[in-house]
Amino acid sequence: MGAKRKKEDAPEMAEDADIDDGGCRDRRNRQKVEKKEEFRPSMIKNKEKRSAAHAKLKHQKKLEKRKTKKAREAADKQALELGEEPPQRSVPRTIENTREADETVCKPDDAELFVANDADEFSSILRRERAPKILITTCRFHSTRGPAFISELLTVIPNAHYYKRGTYDLKKIVEYATKEDFTTLIVVHTSRREPDALLVTSLPSGPTAHFKLSKLVLRKEIKNHGNPTGHVPELVLNNFTTRLGHRVGRMIQSLFPQNPDFRGRRVVTFHNQRDYIFFRHHRYIFETKESKQQDPKSKKGKDAEDKSTGQQVIARLQECGPRFVLKLKSLQHGTFDTRGGEYEWVHKPEMDTSRRRFFL
Amino acid sequence: MPRTTTVECPGCPPLRALTFDALGLIKVTESRGNSGGIPQVVERWGDADSSKCVLAASIDDRANDPILAVARKNGTIEISNPLSGDIFVSISDFGDGDGHPEDDDIAGLHIFKKSRSVGSCSLLTCTTKGNASLRSVDIAPTESTNNGASNSWKVCAAGKVLCAKVHGSEKHALFGGKGVEVNLWDLESSTKIWAAKPPPKNSLDIFTPTWFTSATFLTGDDHRKFVAGTNSHQVRVYDTSAQRRPVISFDFRETPIKSVAEDHDGYTIYAGNGSGDLASIDTRTGKLLGCFLGKCSGSIRSIARHPDHPVIASCGLDSYLRLWDVKTRELLSATFLKQHLTCVVFDSNFSDKEVVAPDAQHADEIPEEVEQEALKPAKRKKSPEEMKGKKKKSKDDGSKKSRKKSRQMESEECDVRNTVVFDIQHVNVKLVTSF
Repeated sequence: MGAKRKKEDAPEMAEDADIDDGGCRDRRNRQKVEKKEEFRPSMIKNKEKRSAAHAKLKHQKKLEKRKTKKAREAADKQALELGEEPPQRSVPRTIENTREADETVCKPDDAELFVANDADEFSSILRRERAPKILITTCRFHSTRGPAFISELLTVIPNAHYYKRGTYDLKKIVEYATKEDFTTLIVVHTSRREPDALLVTSLPSGPTAHFKLSKLVLRKEIKNHGNPTGHVPELVLNNFTTRLGHRVGRMIQSLFPQNPDFRGRRVVTFHNQRDYIFFRHHRYIFETKESKQQDPKSKKGKDAEDKSTGQQVIARLQECGPRFVLKLKSLQHGTFDTRGGEYEWVHKPEMDTSRRRFFL
Repeated sequence: MPRTTTVECPGCPPLRALTFDALGLIKVTESRGNSGGIPQVVERWGDADSSKCVLAASIDDRANDPILAVARKNGTIEISNPLSGDIFVSISDFGDGDGHPEDDDIAGLHIFKKSRSVGSCSLLTCTTKGNASLRSVDIAPTESTNNGASNSWKVCAAGKVLCAKVHGSEKHALFGGKGVEVNLWDLESSTKIWAAKPPPKNSLDIFTPTWFTSATFLTGDDHRKFVAGTNSHQVRVYDTSAQRRPVISFDFRETPIKSVAEDHDGYTIYAGNGSGDLASIDTRTGKLLGCFLGKCSGSIRSIARHPDHPVIASCGLDSYLRLWDVKTRELLSATFLKQHLTCVVFDSNFSDKEVVAPDAQHADEIPEEVEQEALKPAKRKKSPEEMKGKKKKSKDDGSKKSRKKSRQMESEECDVRNTVVFDIQHVNVKLVTSF
């Protein structure tokens, strides 16, 4: 079979090449050993043979995985029958687990962090000295889904107002908004008739965050969606760990009033994972559920009260409102200013040194 | 296997840098030979308060009696000891009466090094409204208010002064800002001797308004050449003896040039802009020599060149203090300092020495011990004078001493045995002059 021969030939051919080079005996032996251990299908130059070798490798891996899974399940079952603890499951390696250690992560006992928080631009809103008032506008071009998105944003964020853009300069808009006591300005930027960026500026002098917007799903496109009420929503901000993330998290927090209406059962979530911020808007309801048997692997058991009689309290979610993903592109120190702008953080390609490095 | 490209940061030579941030904290970062050249924050001075945000800082880092002046946002100027952080005196910028307007921040500050006498120093301050004042301040705490002779004048009629620099010879100063063309003033007579002219309108007839964000003199010998960076990402070289328009004008990236620093050779400058790009530029030809790549993502607020080592420090809004090698443009180290940093200065009198146990002392250094004893009572007197005899050296020698330990020792009235061990030739010179 051609493929098999090629695979076994390749290391030997590499050895021959070494001999031809006239390398010393030690080096040749060492390389021989190395080559035999570290063979990859990508070393084969011929595409058909290479793809066949690769497919074979994958198939072998799949069989091994299936075998280990069967063995694990058998061990679990046996342990359960014997009444012992099932053997410890190993923790899977995920990208979040192997994230590069970041020294800018906020530590819980950092006094400087608290002072910096008190001193930053959002503290007056977060201390409830000012009520958030949002001004939403668009860029100068029209878009197909833009108006629908904005009308949904107006229902999500309480005390938000929409003004048409016209031909006003953004700096003039900032001045006007500061005069009218707005706390934040949001500009929905459109590209190719689709909203694709969000510019959030804290007023009067606050930082400007430029987010890339993607995966926008409007309410009408969601199956079984709910309709949001006018209650002040609860806010969930997940995983904003670094200093930069903390600052962005506080900026998002300053968009919403700080007195959530728990009776309204409405929650807005900004979940940060790998520098992408996922926005979700749900209404939830707690229900007691008659469960016939205890399910040790039940994920909904977080609210389980009375397991012995088989009653469980679970929370059901109904999604309402838009669903989108944001990614921070830059954080400017003052209000939006392309020419005279001073950046606190701007993404540069040279910063992506590793696939495990995240900034928020 | 995660795919990573990690670059090992080589360590930096022993040095000491002071950084000032937006909360008014002063952090001292030292890099010692024994810690592998990785800088560590050794001290943190000040209370964190955003009204005390540091706007400008200047250091006079001579071997004996160094002082540090810090200008804060609430209008106070503090003069302190850069080695221990003790504040000698704190003066209010608008102490001469007129009640201060809220938005008249200090734009520039400079300690005069040449005309320093023990117990007082002279400062040049300039505010954004253009009020420049030259005053002498008594350092020793006295009962009376310490505004000695002060000489104020107005630099500009309209506009906002954003950058102020004093020449090495301390006879001239330049000021520039938003709507303020770069002016050169003679400090002895307080007169403006030269003002720049804006470059002509470009081919599209567009006139960019004047907005200088940073400026520096090129060498300490010639006050006529200087470099200014503008808000429209231009670096302009001026020569007052040639013409009023810029001699060379150079465009660098797309954000304002927030800081420029000159090199000792007199023609290389380092420019840092609002999006964190740092580059070295040759002013003779106007060519970009190269960029400093080191993942700096925040605006660079201040660049400092070490007087002896080929190292520059840059700090900015991304809260990192980065040290770079000048020749290879390589990042030597980056230290995270948690707040937005506004200024950085080097303390060039830092020497990486450690205390040696008494039995390890060399026989030929015993005569030094005797002289040290005589010095000791003198040292007790005043905290700045404890630094007598310590000199910065560019290369390490066999005997080492740690500064912190020495201070502790002196405060505890240590005995003769635990004297400081020095390198002989330096000590001889120093001790003679100090007497």
